[in-house]
Amino acid sequence: MSFPMQDEWYPVAMLSDLHRQGRDTLLLGQPIHAARDPNGIPIVTTQNGQHLVTIERFGHLWTSLGTPRKDLFSIPEADQPGRTLVDVGVVRVKCSPLRAVENFLDIAHFPFVHTDILGAEPHTEVENYQVEIREDSDEVWATKVKFFQPQAAKSAEGGITTDYMYRVPLPTCSVLYKTCPPRPAEWDVICLFVQPLTEELCDVWPWMALFDDETPLTDMIHFQQLIFLQDRSILENQLPRRLPLDPGMEVPTRADMTSVAYRRWLKRHNFTYGAQLVAK
Amino acid sequence: MSMPATAWWTPVALSADVPPRMVIPATLPVGPIAVWRSQSGQVTANHDRCPHRGMRLSHGFVRGEKLSCIYHGWSFGKEGGCTAIPAHPKVTPPASIHCGVMPTVEQDGLIWVASAQPDTAPPVFDQYQPLRMLNFCACIDRIKTVCDASSRDPATDTYVTATLAGFVTRLIVTPLNETETNVFILVSPDLSTDQKIAISRAAEVLRNLCERPSPEGQQT
Amino acid sequence: MKLYDYVLSPSCYKVRLLAALTDTTLTLRPVDFHPGKEHQSPELLTLNPAGSIPILEDGLLVLTESSAILTFIAAQNAPQWLGQDTPQMAAYVQQWLSFSHRLTTTLGSARLIEMLHGHGDLAALQHQGIAALRELEAALVQQHMKGATYLAADRMTIADIACFPYAALAPDGSVSLDPYPKIRLWMRAIRAQPGFIEMPGIHRLHELSNDPLETTNQ
Repeated sequence: MSFPMQDEWYPVAMLSDLHRQGRDTLLLGQPIHAARDPNGIPIVTTQNGQHLVTIERFGHLWTSLGTPRKDLFSIPEADQPGRTLVDVGVVRVKCSPLRAVENFLDIAHFPFVHTDILGAEPHTEVENYQVEIREDSDEVWATKVKFFQPQAAKSAEGGITTDYMYRVPLPTCSVLYKTCPPRPAEWDVICLFVQPLTEELCDVWPWMALFDDETPLTDMIHFQQLIFLQDRSILENQLPRRLPLDPGMEVPTRADMTSVAYRRWLKRHNFTYGAQLVAK
Repeated sequence: MSMPATAWWTPVALSADVPPRMVIPATLPVGPIAVWRSQSGQVTANHDRCPHRGMRLSHGFVRGEKLSCIYHGWSFGKEGGCTAIPAHPKVTPPASIHCGVMPTVEQDGLIWVASAQPDTAPPVFDQYQPLRMLNFCACIDRIKTVCDASSRDPATDTYVTATLAGFVTRLIVTPLNETETNVFILVSPDLSTDQKIAISRAAEVLRNLCERPSPEGQQT
Repeated sequence: MKLYDYVLSPSCYKVRLLAALTDTTLTLRPVDFHPGKEHQSPELLTLNPAGSIPILEDGLLVLTESSAILTFIAAQNAPQWLGQDTPQMAAYVQQWLSFSHRLTTTLGSARLIEMLHGHGDLAALQHQGIAALRELEAALVQQHMKGATYLAADRMTIADIACFPYAALAPDGSVSLDPYPKIRLWMRAIRAQPGFIEMPGIHRLHELSNDPLETTNQ
């Protein structure tokens, strides 16, 4: 049986932690093995020995069970010289891969889940921002997103209003562009790469490309792990566990425009692995 | 799992285990619920699901007379209506945003909840005092067998008499699913602390007995 | 005092939490535990051959067990946290410090498997973790009957700090805390302490701060 999400790219390993013995894992419910061959070349094989397509990019090994329609997306900003590339490391979450991405696109939860770091009462208001599905690239974009943050990044001193742009180039990947405190003219790049193990279980591989010469690498990793692990207890307690794509099951507001566009885009492409289509 | 034909009261917690400004998770035959006590002391039970993004409200927080979701801070009053959406502080939430509230009664130190209004009140246990609630990984029939079926209250399936540490106690047994049962232990109100502790320990032993495979080899 | 620290480690959090509650200043030295496995690096193994964190360094003193670190900080800065008022209290504290290791090896191991790709027999660890939680609940029931909220006394001691994080994070290892009302009350009392700090998976009590919307409406 084939389904549209089979033909998309997914992260399955961190390149810096991929060895000969490799790792047994799942992709869209199918057992796969990711490893390096004797020449150090990353390979991904299925249970019946079939070799899957691979790409090495953004610190991770990417693969697909089917035939990708296009090359893995690029992040031109991440190639700028002077950025620190940060492999944050894998975190397993018992949730729908689509719920994990949707949470990443949300800012309204900052004051309650990332209190005194990414948000704080009384600064809870989400101002209007712009959302579009870009037809040329077939990506979801949210721009002109602003939010007040007590400590936006490890390099931030005190509270600032932070600007954001969100981008969804693949059903289980999102790229966040965020005010870069040491270089106001540039954007920090923070990515959430989600490997869908099953419809209700995922491995999440956060990755960052930051301008920050001051903060030690370990501090950057810890900061991002702190943030993402605060989300984990939310993600594992949403009902239904799968993302409802049909309206009526959940109530969005203006603050959720990105999530609404993401759900619409998923439905348009039949990206429904991890989704709930009719209210059960 | 079969549903009761008519709505009936389920004990979900000891009153003492839900102090003011606290929310706890509980389970009814129809699904998970959030039980909370407001600052003024009133107990409310909601579906354990925020209508916004499905987050369990039992992970939330109580301020004043409202229950708020931990995810985005949406607040709900005792009637279940949404009273505030922090992302839009100047907007009055439409009345359509609502989180279902269930009938709740607090009586004799226990909190009872029903999925719909039952015809009668919860049973009265005014000769007793609730001691504690334990979760047994055993079905009701197994618990009754271990407690000695001959002492079972013939009027109903829900109560069992058990002798613990030499004292006669009443157990309210409430199935959570096929394999798990909540057991509320009721004791005489004039016991000493040492006697209560002895009963509490005996209840742990009873649980161990109930969770062992039954002699016939049936898994409980 | 220098703490070799990992932001997701409940054992490191114990030390940070006690320091926060007792106004103790710690210098944090972040360790890239995951994904970098820095605790297995030569530098860290020189300090602690067991290859674990936390490690506390104070001059020439090096401590590598969280219970010992809690004891050291309390003895230096807040002796009442040692719980030595009576022989019974002192013994209770020791009992719970020992017990806390069971929480670490059961619930903590289940958490590493479920969260960070650790290895082990998950079902067995969860089963043993539930047994430990039931003992904790039973003990807190008894304490409540005697009028106490905490494990060893009617106030917090290092026994509570030692047991709190792995119990509170049981859901990270897919062990539910729903069946334990007295553990819930105990955790809430700890979270309500002035100076309490959180860690991922253990939220602060938002009910302790005022509702800003209520305030502006008045």
